[in-house]
Amino acid sequence: MDLQTKLRQEARKLLEEKLVDVVIGYEDEGAPLRTTPCFITDPQDVDRLVWNPFCDHNLARYLTARKDKAAVVAKGCDTRAIVVLINENQIERKNVNILGMPCGGIVDRKKIYNHLKNGDVREAVLKDKVITVKGLEFTADLMVDDFLADCCLSCRHRNPVLCDVQIGENLPPLDVKDEYKKIKQLEESTSEERWEYFRKTLSKCIRCYACREACPLCYCQQCFTDQNFPAWVGKTTDISDTIVFHIMRAFHTTGRCVDCGACERSCPNNVDIRMLTKKIAKDVKELFGDEAGLQLEEKAPLSFYNEDDPQDFIK
Amino acid sequence: MRTTPRILSSEKIMKTIKKDKINTVLDFLIKKYQVFGPVQKDDLVVDFGRIQNGAQACLEFSNTNEPAKKLFFPQAETLFSYTGSDAAQVSELKPEKPRIIFGMRPCDAKSLSLLDAVFDGPDYKDPYYIVKRKNTTIFTLACRRPRSNCFCDSLGIGPFSKKDTDVFMADLGDRYVFEPITPGGADILNKIPGLENARPTDAERLKNLRSEAESKVARKVDLDNLPEKLARIFDHPFWDGIHQKCLGCGICTYLCPTCHCFDIVDEQKDDKGRRIRIWDSCSYPTFTLEASGHNPRATGKERMRQRLMHKFRYFVENYGEIACVGCGRCINHCPVGSDLIREIENINNLK
Amino acid sequence: MQEQPENWEPRIIAFLCSWCSYAGADLAGVSRRRYSPNVRIVKVPCSGRVNPFYIVKSLQQGCDGVLVSGCHPGECHYSNGNYYARRRFAILKRLLEYIGLEEGRVHFSWVSASEGDKFAKVVNEVTETVRKLGPATRLVKHSPVDGVVN
Ligand code: SF4
Ligand code: SF4
Ligand code: FES
Repeated sequence: MDLQTKLRQEARKLLEEKLVDVVIGYEDEGAPLRTTPCFITDPQDVDRLVWNPFCDHNLARYLTARKDKAAVVAKGCDTRAIVVLINENQIERKNVNILGMPCGGIVDRKKIYNHLKNGDVREAVLKDKVITVKGLEFTADLMVDDFLADCCLSCRHRNPVLCDVQIGENLPPLDVKDEYKKIKQLEESTSEERWEYFRKTLSKCIRCYACREACPLCYCQQCFTDQNFPAWVGKTTDISDTIVFHIMRAFHTTGRCVDCGACERSCPNNVDIRMLTKKIAKDVKELFGDEAGLQLEEKAPLSFYNEDDPQDFIK
Repeated sequence: MRTTPRILSSEKIMKTIKKDKINTVLDFLIKKYQVFGPVQKDDLVVDFGRIQNGAQACLEFSNTNEPAKKLFFPQAETLFSYTGSDAAQVSELKPEKPRIIFGMRPCDAKSLSLLDAVFDGPDYKDPYYIVKRKNTTIFTLACRRPRSNCFCDSLGIGPFSKKDTDVFMADLGDRYVFEPITPGGADILNKIPGLENARPTDAERLKNLRSEAESKVARKVDLDNLPEKLARIFDHPFWDGIHQKCLGCGICTYLCPTCHCFDIVDEQKDDKGRRIRIWDSCSYPTFTLEASGHNPRATGKERMRQRLMHKFRYFVENYGEIACVGCGRCINHCPVGSDLIREIENINNLK
Repeated sequence: MQEQPENWEPRIIAFLCSWCSYAGADLAGVSRRRYSPNVRIVKVPCSGRVNPFYIVKSLQQGCDGVLVSGCHPGECHYSNGNYYARRRFAILKRLLEYIGLEEGRVHFSWVSASEGDKFAKVVNEVTETVRKLGPATRLVKHSPVDGVVN
């Protein structure tokens, strides 16, 4: 039985037996290369659920606002975000039913648009691992694996780290060669080059805050960007304000970011947001040996300390 | 509201130039005007920017990521500034060198007439907007390749619309043709060196290209009864479901050519200060948050409803037109795949 | 490095823990230790009180350098504020330098109430490092700036 059918079966069972009030999953509304989040409450509707490499949202994002019992379709990284949310007391373990999906990676459709030289995809059909895309003037067969999101290429936790039901067998771990390649390249360049790089990518930001809203861990009731007394960060599109916004948003993900890539994928202007969050994840691992969202009852690295933490940067 | 004089069709002399000479047109205009046009920001993003030489323009594009509104209603605009105890300086009101926006799409051109209703309407005149608007000549570039989510047709615009522009341009393959629409546009056109008179067959050619382009606008939406329908369903349970997946980011409103809500912010440092107008969005909870802590649009439900009601009902009640031009940006860029057309269809189908 | 305007003097903000480094600064003064007058001191109850935003905002507002100083490990008046701070600053310093802030604009130190000499030394070192870098430009918000695209 394929995973999608299994998923629907599980969802139906949960709803029929009234174990949950809602199943949060993905559905296909016909837009090529995309799925969209759906909230299913009626067992009759479970056939709307789909599972494919276009299921790219991190649905854990919807859990914090809920008071009911929800089942949620969750990939490896999404389950890590759920673990962080439970550890940070944002959701109760008993209120969430995790439908864990071993995940072979999701497609970054911006990579496809890029490959097609910004061609307008009007139709996309997925069969096995091949996506046939059609535009008005072209047809092309594309391999899913050639267009996986960057975060998936360096993913070490493709299987759910926590779930109530796992849909399908565990996948073998990915052979990740150099998880931090891009970060290291940038670290090795000069300070001027790095400034230029960030100035350039961040100058595209329009401060829509989609990155913040898409992130399951940006759940603050009032984000620092919305505080106006004091106004921590200016609201203008002055590059200084934009960079301060991004430094601080990224900083707030320290030791919590699970590298699901939801922030970067949501950005309408292709800002390289992961180049900040991933850098911090790298430093957290180097300095404190931590990785976010792998275990329940684990503390975020900035909420505890060791007496012998590195301090060679302190005079 | 602005009423644009149009020139008689008998006075319209279409001009043309070889495609590889288009840079000379731009280079000429740059000498006399501030020229803005589509420029490539990265592999996928084309946006309006100031053009310093013709080669910077990227005229092979579908549409700019950001709408043209930012050239008239910038995301952050200083309204006045002051130093020490000096009287405030209202610097923005000095008209600058005249501007040309080269290569605006017909949908964006139409959006300006909707913004005119707000910022240059009978009740309220916004000097900051008006000074820029009066100072600008628009060269619209017809869309040969409308994209999959374009639905301008349904708003009475269409990829070859000549409305709300000064000069209409179209790409004939090896040449561009220019058609003056307003006297101001005609004036500028007459001064550009190197333009030839269009060929007798060009009008026919344009007609064919136009129907070809129109046939590529695949999506349609029925808006006929929408404003009345919306007036009847304010309390419908429909709104409880529709907002569920919405993240509450501001993409749809920031990228919408007609959305125009803003916030006013004061900034001060030492003895210098300024008042700035900054885009805001009805998708944000802070947009309606009151000082008391009360929020009349407390949840995503009220905010999503407001967005649709404003575009398709209140704006119609206030100004007689729908505040949407069918550019499809909100659909293309919604991170969770919300589809405005589908939402409207759902509303149309409500009992 | 850039050209330095004539008569330019670095402006440095120092967030000092009131239990240790602030007292250290006092001692330096009382014992007539000479130290560079370029630091403006902000007294905080503990290094753990220093919100990373203080540092970033200072840089944005045009400080050429920032120093945060607290009690030595094990000596924090609130027992562990400095341990938390140390973790935060380790990440923040790397992040700021990674996005292209020049190395040498943000500094951290442990200075106790009895270390007047160390305080003077730290401040002089910090000032000289910042002086070499020249006036801050990156991250600085130059207002009023208009948002009009150009
Ligand atoms: S989603 Fe992109 S454009 Fe929007 S605030 Fe984040 S980085 Fe900026
Ligand atoms: S910061 Fe980005 S990558 Fe990290 S958890 Fe949030 S959305 Fe995912
Ligand atoms: S009291 Fe000095 S660092 Fe905590």
